[in-house]
Amino acid sequence: MHIPDGFLNTGVSVATGAVAAGVVGYGLYRAREELDERSVPLLALCAAFVFAAQMLNFPVAGGTSGHFLGGVLAAVLLGPWLGGLVLTLVLVVQCLGFADGGLTALGANVFNMAVIGAVACYYLFALGKRLLPKSRTSFLAAVGVTSWLSVMLASGACAVELAISGTSPLSVALPAMLGVHAIIGIGEAVITVLVVSVVLAVRPDLVRTYDLAGPAPVFADPEVNR
Amino acid sequence: MKHAFLDEYSHLESPVHRLDPRAKLLAFVVLVVVCVTTPPNLYSAFAAYLGLEVVLVLLSRLPWKHVLKRLLVVLPFILVVAAFVPFFSRGGGSYNLGPVKVSAHGLMVLWNVAAKSTVSVLAVILLSSTTPFPDLLRGMERMKVPRLLTSLLSFTYRYIFVLVDEAQRMKRARDSRGWSGKWIWQAKVIGHMIAALFLRSYERGERVYAAMLARGYGGRVRTMYLYHPGISEVGFTSLVVLFPLAARLLA
Repeated sequence: MHIPDGFLNTGVSVATGAVAAGVVGYGLYRAREELDERSVPLLALCAAFVFAAQMLNFPVAGGTSGHFLGGVLAAVLLGPWLGGLVLTLVLVVQCLGFADGGLTALGANVFNMAVIGAVACYYLFALGKRLLPKSRTSFLAAVGVTSWLSVMLASGACAVELAISGTSPLSVALPAMLGVHAIIGIGEAVITVLVVSVVLAVRPDLVRTYDLAGPAPVFADPEVNR
Repeated sequence: MKHAFLDEYSHLESPVHRLDPRAKLLAFVVLVVVCVTTPPNLYSAFAAYLGLEVVLVLLSRLPWKHVLKRLLVVLPFILVVAAFVPFFSRGGGSYNLGPVKVSAHGLMVLWNVAAKSTVSVLAVILLSSTTPFPDLLRGMERMKVPRLLTSLLSFTYRYIFVLVDEAQRMKRARDSRGWSGKWIWQAKVIGHMIAALFLRSYERGERVYAAMLARGYGGRVRTMYLYHPGISEVGFTSLVVLFPLAARLLA
């Protein structure tokens, strides 16, 4: 889903780039406010984590495999703005270090995967969390549904941008993109739910958006309890 | 473990490698922007961009095998997104290739994205394969990119190698126990691996922060910048900026 250079026209590149720059700027501001200088190692480690996690392929069906994107996971663990910032860091490193995703398409890629895939989907997640009964199960259900949606929305946005740029007709690109990503999204949802539930069990303090008060797990070793 | 997947060959010795990263960043960004905004029917302009890049690859002594391998990253996107376009779009006349009709307009769209993405990816390969990533970030910092962003990127770069190592160790341990992923319900294993990877990364982040504090970190990493822009930077930047512009205007 990393759009290379040359696939988007100037209007789409500039518009998505402007929105992306605004969101990243606000993310940097929030990083400074919320975490002060601690933000640097912590957010960078989270970005490196998303990068490494994307290298673990998961089986989709039969022989094909997809890989994890991590937008909703980052947003649920760190909050929307820092989650979006972490995804942006990953995309910038992939663009400058790997030539994966174009320089002039960087704005669009950040828009699709960080702004839509992490920030916007976080607010869908927050909405779902409010509507559902307050329990661990419904928290995880909201995580799963929004993870699936994040993959669908990001790939849909990608298809729409390509169509506006006149690269591929919407009637062909949109169903193709959504069809493939409906399946990849299931993997994304399963893995995001699993990761969040494991982190909730081991270190619930690290899931910043989990606000349901539950008994903190008590370990026999005082070192672990901090 | 040895990793060479990021900024590989950026430590070679060549006239291009020795340039100030700012000159290269500026020149290649301009080249990409000029290329992307060129109308697709100016064939000679694209030939000129590609020719310039071939000369730069030769000058920088990058192995062709590496450059071509990296070039393949755009291929899947072209195949998925644009390869079918000539068969679906209408207009601009059409050619009959046996039973299938190919539209001229669609062919132009395919040529447009294929040419532009190839030239642009080559530009980024030239930039990333001749500039160590930390030097590139330091150059960006001197070009007034927000310091928080560049220091976040440099830490990300630093720890990508560590965490990829960690992930590959887990993968090897898993595979040596006879795991083979075929079906989606086996995703549970991957989920647990990613969760463990996150916990280890986050706790490593906390430890790194404590270690940095102990060494006097106050929000800024002090580094040396050993490049001095001179005549070769001016020459390089004007060549890479002016030659494509001239080729485009004269085409």
